[in-house]
Amino acid sequence: MAKVKPAPIIHTERLLALVPYISAHQGIAIADLAKAFDVTTSQMSADLTTLWMCGLPGYTALELMDLSFESGFVTIRNAPTLKSPRTLSSEEIISLLLGLDLVRESLPNNEDIASKVQTLSQRLSEKVGMNATFRAADPVSSALRAQIEQSLHKQVNLEISYHSLYSDNFTEREITPLELRTEDGIEYLFAYCHSACAFRVFRLERIQSLKVSSNTHKVISKEASGENAEFASHISISSRARLMKERFGLDNAPVNEKVQIQSFSRQWIIRSVFASSGSAVLLEPGDLAQEIAKKAQLILDRYQAH
Amino acid sequence: MHTVSRKSERLVNLTIALLATRRYLTKSEIFRSIEGYEGSDESKERMFERDKDDLRSLGIEIEVGGFDPIFNDEAGYRIKPESYALDLGEISGADIALLSLAANAWNGQALNAIAHSALLKLKSIGIDSDIDAIPMLAPRMVSAGSELVTVVEAITTRSPITFTYIGLDLENQKRTLNPYALASRDGFWYFAGMDLDKGAIRTFRLDRVEGEIAVGKKNASFEIPAGFDLFSHLDEGISAKLATIDIRKGKAFALRKKALSVVEKGEWDQITIQYGDESTFIDSLLWHLDDVVVIEPSELRESVVKILSSMVVNHG
Repeated sequence: MAKVKPAPIIHTERLLALVPYISAHQGIAIADLAKAFDVTTSQMSADLTTLWMCGLPGYTALELMDLSFESGFVTIRNAPTLKSPRTLSSEEIISLLLGLDLVRESLPNNEDIASKVQTLSQRLSEKVGMNATFRAADPVSSALRAQIEQSLHKQVNLEISYHSLYSDNFTEREITPLELRTEDGIEYLFAYCHSACAFRVFRLERIQSLKVSSNTHKVISKEASGENAEFASHISISSRARLMKERFGLDNAPVNEKVQIQSFSRQWIIRSVFASSGSAVLLEPGDLAQEIAKKAQLILDRYQAH
Repeated sequence: MHTVSRKSERLVNLTIALLATRRYLTKSEIFRSIEGYEGSDESKERMFERDKDDLRSLGIEIEVGGFDPIFNDEAGYRIKPESYALDLGEISGADIALLSLAANAWNGQALNAIAHSALLKLKSIGIDSDIDAIPMLAPRMVSAGSELVTVVEAITTRSPITFTYIGLDLENQKRTLNPYALASRDGFWYFAGMDLDKGAIRTFRLDRVEGEIAVGKKNASFEIPAGFDLFSHLDEGISAKLATIDIRKGKAFALRKKALSVVEKGEWDQITIQYGDESTFIDSLLWHLDDVVVIEPSELRESVVKILSSMVVNHG
């Protein structure tokens, strides 16, 4: 369980961080300051009032920080002691090291960035005596995500090349991006697909490439259809229960018992059963089981011939 | 709220006084001059002890020293400005932009609060971020639960962790680990370290941890080996064996990406590919149904044929 800091500690941390932040942003509006520190405006006003009372021993006008914020805009003078930001904590450094590695990873061919990241990471690691390497990767290209965000913002159409996992082929489509959404850690783009004349959901990591289309928004057909209906089938697991639980999205995977799975796609079920290498057997529906048996025989025949 | 702000006001004043002083301040000087220390000597003492702990919990180093017998025997305290203040050396606007991008990758993710506080510090240095110096990117961390924060804390304090791990057959395993590093790949978070029961380095997938991770009380109880790289342990065994497989043209994209070599054979392409764990590799081959045929090694071919035969029987 992660430790939760007590309220006065969080408060002190914020007060100490405020002084250098205001020093670097003289004249910032209280509302903007509150936003930057993720607190309400009234909390920020209370913070500033507290800070206003702080200073060197003596606590006369000479020793107190000269903080002014009555106008709604904040300036600070006479705060040399706290003026520079506090050193980064080990946790903060780890978060930055992982973030930097992700940036480097997303620009595999940019040597300038790679060397900058290398220098920064080394300097940060030395600061806390971090011995280990922190590595991060993103299944989705950062540049691709940035382009999608921008196209959502600018409301332009995109031409994408999309890899369909179940049919294992690429399709070129023109889409109108509607929304980016994350579910269970997987990022999806909801869009209207002009090639299919239907609303479609795309997984970001399967978008191979994209470019902004020269077409502006087309009218979205009202009769646009959704996905096919979900259907149930039953499997039985004989081994590698953890893997099977993850593969079929089960809550639990009791061995040698009939368990129900839900899917939109027969293709997905067939491929998943094959990719289980015998650890899962499809029991129902019968026609799907037969299809699997037939397919397995077909591949076997190929091995005999090859 | 009132007591909260009084306490934090005192902590800020204590920090300022200890930072500004050139020599060590004794306790009696602190009690005399810093606002907020009230009550009996004993309660002032208690207050001060707690305040010191609180500042240390914020990562502020308080130095103890100044036992000078000529003046008195009392210990004194100070905070060295060089240990308090952020010093990243010479840093450019492009560097700030990169670091900000790194922090922003955590937006809405597990280390969001930590990265946000780092970002505020970076923005307080007084160097403008030169965002135009770097390409347009929107990096985003793979999502994880709050247990990621626990692992980060344990690594930074070098404390052992105890957790329940879901084994291959879904059995619960009790594990105790000295955590060394964490990393993400293919959409998952991994952490690794010295497994204290196995006496060897082990890697774990964070989403296979059941329930909460408990952090041991003992800090700095181990050293992290220099240059420890989680992936080099994870990849042990991978790339140990080489397979030759035929894949149908325009198909099996996932395998194609990993091919070491490709030779065209009419309707098919013959590729060579490295693999580690055989059963995982066969899973990935069979996913591609009749678009993939194993040529070599023969043991691999035999395993595939055996699995397919049993599938015919079990689904017939």
